Amino acid sequence: MSNRERSIMSSFDFKKRTVQIGYALMLLALLALAVTMLYPFATTVFSSFKTNQEIFTFPPSLFPHQFQWSNYVEGFKYVDLIRPFINTLLLFGGNAVISLMIVSLAAFSLSQMKLPFRKGITIFIMSTLMIPSATYMIPNFLNLQSLGLIDSYWAFWLPAGASAFNIMLLRSFFDGINKELFEAGRLDGASELRCFFRLAIPMSVPVFSTLLIFAFTSTWNDWFWPSLVLTSPEKYPLATVVYRDVIQSFVMTWNVKFSVLTVIMLPPLLFFLFFQKNIMHGLNLSGVKG
Amino acid sequence: MQVDFVRGNEFIGLNNYREVFANSALLISIRNTLYYMLLCVLIGFWVPSVVAMAISELRRFQGGMRLIVYLPHIVPAVVLYGMWQWLYDPLGPANQIASWLGNHQFMWLTDKSIAMLSIVIAETWQAFGGTTLIYLAGIVGIPKDLYEAAEIDGAGVLQRIRHITIPGIRHIYVLMFIMQLIGTSQGFMTHMALTGGGPNNATLTYMYQIINEAFTNLNYGRASAMGVLMFLVLTSLSMVLYYFQGRSKEA
Repeated sequence: MSNRERSIMSSFDFKKRTVQIGYALMLLALLALAVTMLYPFATTVFSSFKTNQEIFTFPPSLFPHQFQWSNYVEGFKYVDLIRPFINTLLLFGGNAVISLMIVSLAAFSLSQMKLPFRKGITIFIMSTLMIPSATYMIPNFLNLQSLGLIDSYWAFWLPAGASAFNIMLLRSFFDGINKELFEAGRLDGASELRCFFRLAIPMSVPVFSTLLIFAFTSTWNDWFWPSLVLTSPEKYPLATVVYRDVIQSFVMTWNVKFSVLTVIMLPPLLFFLFFQKNIMHGLNLSGVKG
Repeated sequence: MQVDFVRGNEFIGLNNYREVFANSALLISIRNTLYYMLLCVLIGFWVPSVVAMAISELRRFQGGMRLIVYLPHIVPAVVLYGMWQWLYDPLGPANQIASWLGNHQFMWLTDKSIAMLSIVIAETWQAFGGTTLIYLAGIVGIPKDLYEAAEIDGAGVLQRIRHITIPGIRHIYVLMFIMQLIGTSQGFMTHMALTGGGPNNATLTYMYQIINEAFTNLNYGRASAMGVLMFLVLTSLSMVLYYFQGRSKEA
């Protein structure tokens, strides 16, 4: 214990009775919290293996008596998840390419190039961050409509290229790269684009990976915007399809519903567990700097 | 502006605003939004900081606990709705727990008086993990010598929390409070998915009404007018946020 860095309580405190009791209570509370955090996951996953009668038995049981895999077969029969999955990947791919090309070029020029009115442009982009997202939803929609982009994936890709948050995130990262590096590159005759592709991009792999992770989770989770701007159901991404056909469905039995929900929930969870380090790093980057 | 895609747009002065203020559902939706924000503050605002303090005191499994708390954040919104639709089902787990405690059954989503509360609980369950991590970062950043000195001076554990930990993360409290106000004032998706604004408009928020006006009634002009009103309020809130953010950097 002695070489551990202390926090609010020291090891001396632990010799006191009241502190011990308080600490035990705190541990109990945290345990209860952990259970409430994990319980909905557990019911969702386990209920997806139950028969519909078993879900409603009283008193409730967490574990299914026997695993009924046919729920999954039925779920896949009920909603086609393959095409929405491809749509989601398409959306994500487009978002990724656009934010890598346009957003990062913008961030690079704001950070490393001698641009006229650089400060003004930066402040302008930054000020758009202060506008609450809900208020520009309708103008955004109307703009896309007059551009004739409704029901096409450009309705997602185009706004992705104007993401002020991403520009600022990348710019602050590029600011951290040593200016001499680019000076040396320019002296050796490299063009700005070459500097960007050969120097800036390889050096900012960590920030790009966070950006891609954010892009992935937001494309995977967003159901509302796609249901607004896409009119033909065969273009819907996964989340919207699930919202329309599963959440709002009254004929689907709960066990089959849970099987679809489990399938939808797993990829982001796995993704998170794999890339946990990067995500936490990104949260620190984008989080409030106290 | 009268937005009409067939006849073209036409300028109609302040008519949209007049219509907005004449709408009887406007007051209801504003009241609901304020009630929703209040509940979010009452339930969701203090939880993350307390949990963060508790986690920072853990000697083992600290990383695991962080992960567990953050996990609901990963769940896609649609899965969240499905989960909580089931948890709030009249025959679902929430009522089973309630029956163990006091043999009283609730209609979580269809009772006017608790529908909003149910929504807030579901959203808090999902969202508080992210905020907890921010608080944790703040708590970890507090210099340990302060606690050491306080302990030598004879301050108890609670006194140390009261006089060192809480002042140490005060700026995060302020920022999180304003961020929460800005975020919750725009909430409508969970309401849409879980209750559809009902029962009897009890969960109809302002933003939900804007969406309804625009995409159900196809009255973009009136929806935009409501959006502008909201923009004015929220932007002034953001200004306050920006002010505090700028100040906390110096501190």
